[in-house]
Amino acid sequence: MADIGYIALLLALVASIYSAIAFVLGEKGRYQALIESARNSLLAVYGLVSLSMAALVYALVTHNFQIEYVASYTSRDLSLPYLLSALWAGNNGSLLFWAWLLSLFAAVMILQKRDVAKELVPYAAAIIMATQAFFLITLLWLSNPFQQLSFIPADGRGLNPLLENPGMIIHPPFLLAGYVGFTIPFAFAIAALLMRRLGDEWIITIRRWTLLPWLFLGVGNILGAWWAYVELGWGGYWAWDPVENASFMPWLVATAFLHSIMMQRRRGILKVWNLALIILTFTLTIFGTFLTRSGVIASVHTFAESPLLAYLFLAFIGVIFFGSLGLLYYRSEELKGETEMESLVSKESTFLLNNLLLVGAAFATFLGTIFPVISEAVRGVKISVAAPFFNQVNGPIFLAIILLTGICTLIGWRRTSVRNLIRNFLWPLVAALVLGIALVISGIRERYAIIAFFFCSFVFFTILYEWFRGTKARHRMSGENYLAAFFALIGANRPRYGGYIVHIAIILIALGVVGSSFYDAEKEIALMPEESMTINNYTLTYDNLDSYETESKTVVTTTLSVYNRGKLIGRLTPEKYFHRSYDQAVSEVAIRSTLVEDLYVILVNWDEDGTTAFKVMVNPLVSWMWIGGGVFFLGGLVAFWPERPKLPAPKQTEARK
Amino acid sequence: MLKKKRFFIGGAIIFLAIGYLGFMGFQSSATYYYTVSELLEQKSSIYDKSMRVNGQVIPGSIEQEPGSFTLRFTIIDTEGEEHLPVVYQGVVPDTFKIDNEVVVEGYLNADGAFQAHTLMTKCPSRYVPEE
Repeated sequence: MADIGYIALLLALVASIYSAIAFVLGEKGRYQALIESARNSLLAVYGLVSLSMAALVYALVTHNFQIEYVASYTSRDLSLPYLLSALWAGNNGSLLFWAWLLSLFAAVMILQKRDVAKELVPYAAAIIMATQAFFLITLLWLSNPFQQLSFIPADGRGLNPLLENPGMIIHPPFLLAGYVGFTIPFAFAIAALLMRRLGDEWIITIRRWTLLPWLFLGVGNILGAWWAYVELGWGGYWAWDPVENASFMPWLVATAFLHSIMMQRRRGILKVWNLALIILTFTLTIFGTFLTRSGVIASVHTFAESPLLAYLFLAFIGVIFFGSLGLLYYRSEELKGETEMESLVSKESTFLLNNLLLVGAAFATFLGTIFPVISEAVRGVKISVAAPFFNQVNGPIFLAIILLTGICTLIGWRRTSVRNLIRNFLWPLVAALVLGIALVISGIRERYAIIAFFFCSFVFFTILYEWFRGTKARHRMSGENYLAAFFALIGANRPRYGGYIVHIAIILIALGVVGSSFYDAEKEIALMPEESMTINNYTLTYDNLDSYETESKTVVTTTLSVYNRGKLIGRLTPEKYFHRSYDQAVSEVAIRSTLVEDLYVILVNWDEDGTTAFKVMVNPLVSWMWIGGGVFFLGGLVAFWPERPKLPAPKQTEARK
Repeated sequence: MLKKKRFFIGGAIIFLAIGYLGFMGFQSSATYYYTVSELLEQKSSIYDKSMRVNGQVIPGSIEQEPGSFTLRFTIIDTEGEEHLPVVYQGVVPDTFKIDNEVVVEGYLNADGAFQAHTLMTKCPSRYVPEE
C-alpha cells in the first residue's frame, strides 16, 4: 500500500512538471494539441494524488502500523472519524492533504466553463502546477507520509486526546482549504501580468475563487477559537500565538483584496494595489505553512522542526514574493488607473481607508509575530511581544474598520453631498446614540467598550436601514409583500447583500470579543466539599468528587451546584480524563452558556483530604462569537452562490457605471 | 494634483497612527526571551524584570501541591547544565508533562527561583516526537 501511495506521488510530480511546461509552450507556440495534453496531465495529477491519499486513508483505517505516520498518530481503539482526521493531524499527512486539495482545485478550475479570461487559463494552470510540483517534492523527499518502519509495532501511539473533539475534525481541513485556495487567484493574477491582459478579466474570474478560500479561512479560524475555548481549558479563545496569526494575516489581506477589486470593477482604479494584495495574500499563506512547520518561531503548536524543510520553504517564499513584485514593477506602466479619486467623502475613499487599515493590521501582526527573529538578528537578543501588544495595536484599528463599514454602506460612489449624508446617516446615528446612552445609563463605564458598542450598533442600524429602504422600494414597485420583497432584494444582488450579512457577523463577533475582554471575571479557589464560592451573581457549592472507569480512560468528576441570586439553576461537572493509552490528562471544562454570559469552570486538582482547586470564570457575550461565526458562513455562502445563468450570457457581467 | 496630495497625507496619517499604536503596544509588552543559561548569565541585573524563559522540564522535579494552584519544577537548557527552579501559580495546562519543553513568563526572584505567572507548553501532541 505504501508503495502505491509513494509511486503515485512520484508520477504526479512528473505529470505536474510536464503539465506546467506544456501549458507554457503550448500557449507560446499556439499548439492546441499541446495545451490539450497539458490539461489531461493536470487532471491526471488530480487522479494520482487522490490515489496516493486513498492509499494513506486505507493504511490509517486498516491500522497498517508499519507506516510510521500511521503508527505515530493512530491506535487500534480510535473510532473511524478520528482515524480519518489523523490524515491531517501530523505534518506529513497534512501536506499530502494540502497537495490533494490543490490538485482538486486545479481540476475544478480547468473544467469550469468560462466566458471571460479563457486566454489566461494556460499560464494560470502552469503556475498552479508549478506550485503543485513544489509540494510534491517536499512530500517525496522531506516529509514522506509513507515512510516505513523496519518493524511492525503492535499498536500505534494514538491521537492526542486533546484533538479528540468534533471541532478538530473539521477545523484543519477548513484552514487548509483556505490556505490552498488562494493559489488559484494568485495564479490568475500572475498570468494576467505575464500576458499583459491587465483589464478586469482576471478580477472577474477570480472573485469567487477568492471568496471561497477566504470563507474557509475565516470559518477555520472561528472553529479553532471555539476548539481552544471548549477543549483547551484556559477560558480564552485567541492567544495571538504565531500559528493563529499565520492564518489570520492572509485572511485580513484577502478581506482587503475582496473590497478593493470592487473599486477596480466600478471605477477602474487601484490596479497595482489589487495585484499587490493578492500576491501578498498568497505569500502569507505559504509563510504561514512555513511558520507552522519550520520551528523558526516558538509557538504552542509547531510541528517538529525540520531545517531543510524550512530552507526550502524560505526559498519558495522568496521566489514567489520577489518574483511577483518584480513582475509587477516591470508592468507598472501599463497599470495606470482609468480615473482618479474624486473626493475624500466618497465610497472610494472609505474603501481605500479600510484597505489601508486591514493591511496595517496584518502588518502589525506580522511584525509582532516575527519580532523575536528581528531583534535577534539586529541586537543579538530575543525579544518577544505578547497578547497585549497585538490587542493594543489591533483593537483601535479594528474599531476604525468597523466604523468605516457603517459609513461605507450609506455613502455614494464618487462624491457625496452634505444633504445626502445627513439624509442617509440621520436615523442610524440617532438609533445608535439612543442605544449608547441607554448603555451608559445602565452602568457601562468602560470607555473602550462604550465606543465599541456604539460603533457596532451604528453599523448594525445602517445595514438594517439600507435593507429597510430597499425592501420598501421593492414593495412599492412590485407590490410583493414585505417578506417576499426582502428576499427578492437579497436574491437580486447576492454579492452585495451577502457582504452585508458578513458585516453583521463581524459585528456579532466584535460584541463577543469586547464583552469577554472587558467584563470577564475569574477566580482561582480551593474548596472543601459543601463549601461555596461566589462570582458575580453566581454562587457555586462544591458537592462532591467521584471517579469511574470507562473502556479507555479513568474519569475524575466533580459536581457543583450553581445558584443565580440564590436560586438553583443547575449543576456543573468539570472533569479530568486520564487515558490509558496516552500519557496526558485532559481537562473537560464545564460551561453553562447563555446569550448573556458563560459560566466556565475548570477542575484544576485535588487532595486526599478533599480540598479541590477550581478556576471559575464568567465570560460575557461569548456565545455571540459562535453565532457570528454561523452568520459569517451563511453570508459568505450567499455572496458566493452562483447567479442564475441569464440568457443570453452577458459578455461583461457588470458594465462600469 | 492637489487631490492626490490629500490622499497621500491621509495615508501618511494612518501609517503614523499605526506606528504609534505599535510603539505603545511594544513598550507595554515587549520582554526578553531567554534560554536558561542566557538568563543566569545576566546575574542580578535582571531581578524582578518581566521576561520569558524557555527550557526543558527535568523529570522528577515536578511538585504539585494538591488542592492548590502552586506548581514547582526545574527547567534546564536542551543542551546545558544550568538549572532554574520555577514556581508557577495558576492552572497547569493539560499538555504539561515531564521532559516537555516549556516557556514560562514571569520574573527572577532574588533567591534564584523564577516566579512564573504564565506557563506555556510546546504541544508535542500532533507532531512527530523527537526520539
